[in-house]
Amino acid sequence: MRSASLTGRQQPLAEYDEVLAWLVLALLSFGLVMVYSASIATAEASKFTGHHPTYYLIRQALFIGAGLVAGMMAFQVPLLNWQKVAPYLFVAGVLLLMLVLIPGIGREVNGSRRWLSLFVINLQPSELMKLFAVLYAADYTVRKGALKDRLVKAFWPMFVVMVLVGALLLQEPDMGAFVVILSIAVCTLFLGGFNLKVFGGLVIALPLAFAALILSSPYRMQRVVGFMDPWSDPFGKGYQLSHSLIAFGRGEWFGVGLGASVEKLFYLPEAHTDFLLAVIAEELGFVGVCAVIVLFGWLLIRAFAIGRQSAFLDRQFAALTAQGIAIWLSVQAMINMGVNMGVLPTKGLTLPFLSFGGSGVVVNCIAVAILLRIDWENRRIMRGLPV
Amino acid sequence: MNYASSIQATGLVALPPWRSRLLFALLLLGLCGLLVRAVYLQGIHNDFLQQQGDARYGRVVDISAHRGMIADRYGDPLAISTPVESVWASPQDVDATPQQVKQLAQLLDMSPGELKGRLSESSRDFVYLKRQMPPEQAEKVVSLEIPGVSLRREYRRYYPDGDVAAHLLGFTNIDDNGQEGLELALQGQLGGKAGSQRVIKDRRGHIVEDVASIRAPKPGSDVQLSIDNRLQYLAYREIKQAVEQHHAKSGSIVVLDAKTGEVLALCNWPSYNPNNRSKPSLGVLRNRALTDQFEPGSTMKPFTVAAVLEAGKVTPDTVINTENGVLTIDGRTIHDSHKEARLTVAQVIQKSSNVGASKMALSLQPEAFWRNLHDDGFGESTGSGFPGEAPGKLRDYRNWRPIEQATMSYGNGISVNLLQLARAYTVFANDGELLPVSLLKEDVQPVGKQVYSAKTAREVRDMLELVVQPGGTAPQAQINGYRVAGKTGTAHKLENGRYVNHYIASFIGMAPASNPRLIVAVKVDDPSGAYYGGEVAGPVFSKVMGSALHVLNVPNDAPLGNVMMPSGDIVREDT
Repeated sequence: MRSASLTGRQQPLAEYDEVLAWLVLALLSFGLVMVYSASIATAEASKFTGHHPTYYLIRQALFIGAGLVAGMMAFQVPLLNWQKVAPYLFVAGVLLLMLVLIPGIGREVNGSRRWLSLFVINLQPSELMKLFAVLYAADYTVRKGALKDRLVKAFWPMFVVMVLVGALLLQEPDMGAFVVILSIAVCTLFLGGFNLKVFGGLVIALPLAFAALILSSPYRMQRVVGFMDPWSDPFGKGYQLSHSLIAFGRGEWFGVGLGASVEKLFYLPEAHTDFLLAVIAEELGFVGVCAVIVLFGWLLIRAFAIGRQSAFLDRQFAALTAQGIAIWLSVQAMINMGVNMGVLPTKGLTLPFLSFGGSGVVVNCIAVAILLRIDWENRRIMRGLPV
Repeated sequence: MNYASSIQATGLVALPPWRSRLLFALLLLGLCGLLVRAVYLQGIHNDFLQQQGDARYGRVVDISAHRGMIADRYGDPLAISTPVESVWASPQDVDATPQQVKQLAQLLDMSPGELKGRLSESSRDFVYLKRQMPPEQAEKVVSLEIPGVSLRREYRRYYPDGDVAAHLLGFTNIDDNGQEGLELALQGQLGGKAGSQRVIKDRRGHIVEDVASIRAPKPGSDVQLSIDNRLQYLAYREIKQAVEQHHAKSGSIVVLDAKTGEVLALCNWPSYNPNNRSKPSLGVLRNRALTDQFEPGSTMKPFTVAAVLEAGKVTPDTVINTENGVLTIDGRTIHDSHKEARLTVAQVIQKSSNVGASKMALSLQPEAFWRNLHDDGFGESTGSGFPGEAPGKLRDYRNWRPIEQATMSYGNGISVNLLQLARAYTVFANDGELLPVSLLKEDVQPVGKQVYSAKTAREVRDMLELVVQPGGTAPQAQINGYRVAGKTGTAHKLENGRYVNHYIASFIGMAPASNPRLIVAVKVDDPSGAYYGGEVAGPVFSKVMGSALHVLNVPNDAPLGNVMMPSGDIVREDT
């Protein structure tokens, strides 16, 4: 096929979106390399890892392998089935979020109760919940489509659900996951053509509520505003952020070289998870950061293209799911990068595909598999084939 | 149900394309915003951020400078610095298992409790755990891979000669600064200037990157001494043997090059091994040849005679009435052990007559006598530059009483150090020219000071040759194949201002007497049993001088088998 395109002949339509697949593989491999680079020193020095420098590398590779297998399996599932089980999945997700909070079942790391121990694997339900939220919100929007101009009936159930999910996530706490899920829900309803006045109201009310919330408590104020000036307390509250920013500064345009980061040498906490971008910035410079942003931008473009294609084919659930996934991945990536660059308060969100973490990688792979499935079904429909 | 029908069932919703486009645009805008932020952080604001980084992990570390080598006149090393490793820790970064602490303590030769104590000094970020370990031992410490424990390259001083040159060289402290001896005196040349380097350290204190050298360490310069290592060994061996044989308190020996005034050997016994970090008592540390002053006794007589000869009052053959060895001045009596009614000037030297020397001294004005002694270098430092050198004592002539002027003629009431005394003898070896002494190798012939005429100097040297002949006080100082000129001393020691029956036996001489090449001064403090200078110090002189002349390939100036021991008693002396 490749040689055919070089000779300028008409290229037959591919079976699936190769560009999207390659984008994700690029992100995963790049992430694997950077996770290794960022974790090698801490892994070697830590008793927890048994002083194996490849501790995180091996695990991340296994996660990616599991993610690819899970993705291939998910690709086999017709989108219709996802739509059918969406409400049940969502309920299951809520149950898992409750389970996490039960002492003895949920596992606590760094003061957050986010993990379920399943024999050898730690499952992070909030990661699953993001996918379930996309599916649920799309299904909800499609089902409530007829009521979209009736304020109470259209918005009230979703509002209640979000309050419930929010309450559970803030118990862990996992503020970042809640922000992502809330964004998915609000954006999906917005895309679904729901009453514009409500969104107008939200655009005004949410910031006001937020402002009121932080102004009412000096402590919260400190936490939220703290990120704006990490240099006022660089060894205390601003420690992590100041080191992340230093990593960016040291990287300059082309970086200090792969493997040569100093910040990862015990200065920057969470270098292989939440602050992986800082290590990328230091080692590969602006070029590396730019590559990450471009890859996510391209992913966003592809996902929205698939979504609009679905809408064009009158496949509303597919359209909303595709765009929901795009919103999820790009919002999460942007928040993570914003935190790394000191424009958003620290949240505890990983960089999709890149950061270390089993649940995240597997669920992200499944999400992309669903995207690919939607695209695959679109192409079949356009050729008049059954899906 | 096929897909079309499911769409039918839920197809009541329409998705406005503008909303999708708006959201898409906003998300892309967000990504662009991040791109701009990255440009700002990495391309514009990076100076400030890098400064902040430097302040956190950039540190300046000192680099020890190599200390210069001390070598003998032929370049043989006497003191060299060898690289060693010091183990230090940054207590707050140390993260070790109890097992590791135990292993480390074992390597560092301390108890685990003591090590834990050091590591708990959390207020400091630099604690030495062990200074100056051999590199292979330090390797083992590194292989434990304990965070927060690091090595630092330092230099340790090593003295290949051990106790042979200990007093002369002195030693350095653990920071490689001279503390004693020439190490102290030559600190300015030997000591390098520590350099410093800007490095990046990880949070646990390990250096991960050398950024820039702020100041390269400036190694110290090497120093070449005047010492001849072969003679130093010889001298050391003999003085040690003599002190032990005579159960003396101590002994010192100085070997001078008679032509240049360079010190070729200088040593004492008891000595110590400077390579040991624990140092002995001050008594053993002292470089007695330089820091101890003593009353020289009869070894002063040649200077008295020279002064009188120079003044033209006598000739070597002038006969002095020695009063049967008893002379009373100001109510005090001067004795000779070897009693004679009359002696020539030369015989006064040969038989070491106190009465004769006193009479000659009293024939001079005090000022003239003082001037002579002062010109011989008495009463002031030799200029060797050795730390703590005793300058000796030559009292102002204006306060002299006649008895004092008399006793000074045979070395009582005046004090010297051994090097000073040896140096004074250069006037007899060099036709009246007093040479400066030097512990450093001289490349040009030093300029001396003419104290006596060549004639006077030669006349005294001829008299000194009689001392080792049968009929003199030191036939034991003779050397096979060489003519020897020298003088014995057997001085009563002063204790609490009184002369007691303890002695300092000495012999100062030069050879070959026809054209002296070396001057050897031997001093033995408080020998038991035999105590005469000729008996105790004479043989030491003979062995050291004889061997040294061989080592230096000095041609014989006497037929072999020239040594003649007297048939009867050897002449004794009283000072």
